[in-house]
Amino acid sequence: MSALDFVVLIGSMLGIAIYGIWRTRGRRDLSAYLKGGHTPWFAIGLSVMATQASAVTFLSTPGQGYLAGLAFVQVYFGVPLALLIVAIFFLPVFRRLKVFTAYEFLGRRFDTKTRLLGAGLFLLQRGLGAGLTIYAPAIVLTSVFGWPLNLTIICSGVLVIIYTVAGGNDAVTVTQKYQLAIIFAGMITAFCLLVAKLPAGLTCSDTLTLAGGFQKLNAVNFSTDPRERYTIWSGILGGTFLMLSYFGTDQSQVQRYLSGESVREDRLGLMFNAVCKIPMQFCILLLGVLMFVFYQFEPAPLFFNPITSQALATQGHGGNLRAYEKDFAAAHTQTRQQLDNWLAARHRGDQAAAGEAFAAAAASRQQGEKIRLTANQALSAETSATTANDADYVFITFILRQLPHGVIGLLVAAFFAATFSSKAAELNALSSSTTVDIYRHLIRQDATDDTCVTASKWFTAGWGLLAIGFALCAHLAENLIQAVNILGSIFYGVMLGLFVVAFFLRRVGGTAVFWAALAAQTLVFILFFGAAVSRYWHDFFGGACPGGRLLLETAAISYLWYPLIGCAACVLFSLFLQAVSRSGKRNQEVFATDGHNLLH
Amino acid sequence: MKNPVEVESSAPASATPGLPLLGSWKAVYLFVLGSFVLWVALLIGLTNMFS
Repeated sequence: MSALDFVVLIGSMLGIAIYGIWRTRGRRDLSAYLKGGHTPWFAIGLSVMATQASAVTFLSTPGQGYLAGLAFVQVYFGVPLALLIVAIFFLPVFRRLKVFTAYEFLGRRFDTKTRLLGAGLFLLQRGLGAGLTIYAPAIVLTSVFGWPLNLTIICSGVLVIIYTVAGGNDAVTVTQKYQLAIIFAGMITAFCLLVAKLPAGLTCSDTLTLAGGFQKLNAVNFSTDPRERYTIWSGILGGTFLMLSYFGTDQSQVQRYLSGESVREDRLGLMFNAVCKIPMQFCILLLGVLMFVFYQFEPAPLFFNPITSQALATQGHGGNLRAYEKDFAAAHTQTRQQLDNWLAARHRGDQAAAGEAFAAAAASRQQGEKIRLTANQALSAETSATTANDADYVFITFILRQLPHGVIGLLVAAFFAATFSSKAAELNALSSSTTVDIYRHLIRQDATDDTCVTASKWFTAGWGLLAIGFALCAHLAENLIQAVNILGSIFYGVMLGLFVVAFFLRRVGGTAVFWAALAAQTLVFILFFGAAVSRYWHDFFGGACPGGRLLLETAAISYLWYPLIGCAACVLFSLFLQAVSRSGKRNQEVFATDGHNLLH
Repeated sequence: MKNPVEVESSAPASATPGLPLLGSWKAVYLFVLGSFVLWVALLIGLTNMFS
């Protein structure tokens, strides 16, 4: 990065943080500090969007597009449906009860232990997620730029803590608007420059045909195999449950849309996201697909992750690496030549020659991928280096090698802006839940607003430091964007189940739903860790136990189904426990009076 | 149990969305659903056309 890039990066990040602190100085009222207020719907919409879209979204998603095409867009098919349900059913109840956190509602509908369970699941899941939010972009950016990883995590984490502590919810909303502006400016600039860098003779139709020919435009998959990660069914069914859990029960989002002046503002902010989310993710994935097309005509590295190459060189495998790189470059040159032939034949209308040339290009590209795979297997068998997360480095490598100075600074600023915006919202939500659900509810029930604001600031700082500590110790095996979604999927289903029972099953009481939620969470844990457990089970019992095979196959299902399974299990277990509970009749009577008043 | 939408419709602050061409919440929800269906249809079309 040049001096100009650093000026753009540091100037924009510090400027936004200082502006957020200045705009929200002197907030001592608890409601204003935790909820904000009078935020217009458009700002709420941007805030909801900025909270969900962390740096991982912008760093890792183009890599997903490059590697696997548009299929990942199916994850977001659940967003519009989930947001409609939240806007119609959840929002009015939260609003009318004037709750600070979603878990306050559980306490009023059920009892303290259920409220604490909901808050506890949120704090556990989001506390881990906050570490991931700050670690994930730092690991990519530092490995590319050579910055010290720990220093990058600490500096970016501390800056977010400072302005979030100072201004609370309003500081988050105010800064998110400008952070999102930088993100969009950066991504649109990158998109335009990428399109401009495609070969001169390549038309829009050629580009799409080429990408489609390499299976990069398979946006919708109708397969009914539950082990396939991204299908239209897992997207609509599993994705709806995942997103409903996220938007309806995760305080980091609930707090965003409850900051409006009225239900109208909150609801329109949600609807804005319901309309914009799929096209936004499509465009980010399309950026990855266009990078794939670009790298068919330009030399692509064997590994995008520079750490892999450096590790191999320092461990004495530089010779092997160079041999693989030479073979890979030869296969790439052949692909490029065949694609030039394909383009020429296509433009002169010779379909037969075009078909032959494309088949040859596909074969030589497959040869290149084989070399990459062989290199990966051979080198990782001999060294500790791995290319497992190579997709995360595709976009940042393109930025550094292909874009001009100034734009590089803008895009790195966009990644940091995305980190700050989602991180600040997470810290704010963690602090709100700790203050309202634990501190004021259990520890100091007589605390004044002033005391609670002070406590909330300490909790924000505490959670921020914890997230930094987690980030300093983290290690990731999964692709970043998938790791974030997998972590959410493990906890969200049961959290959603608690709220579904609260809203729609008026006869179920607190004790039944509490134990049902614990049982359902255990079930999801078993499914998640089931791959290892089931392998052991199957090896131990072998063919003598048909259950072993069943468990092995069940454990292989896509993570997108976890929220649905967790939610369904929580609801079914609640109904069962309530039915067999001796106190069922009493709970029904209690809710017949209290619960009726609560929901109506 | 009353439908929460019915409860909400009685609140004046959220009575209408106040958007041009979308005069009621029902119209807003239909617009959202329509745009979702349109996007999925376009993506299916893209998949079928280029795969």
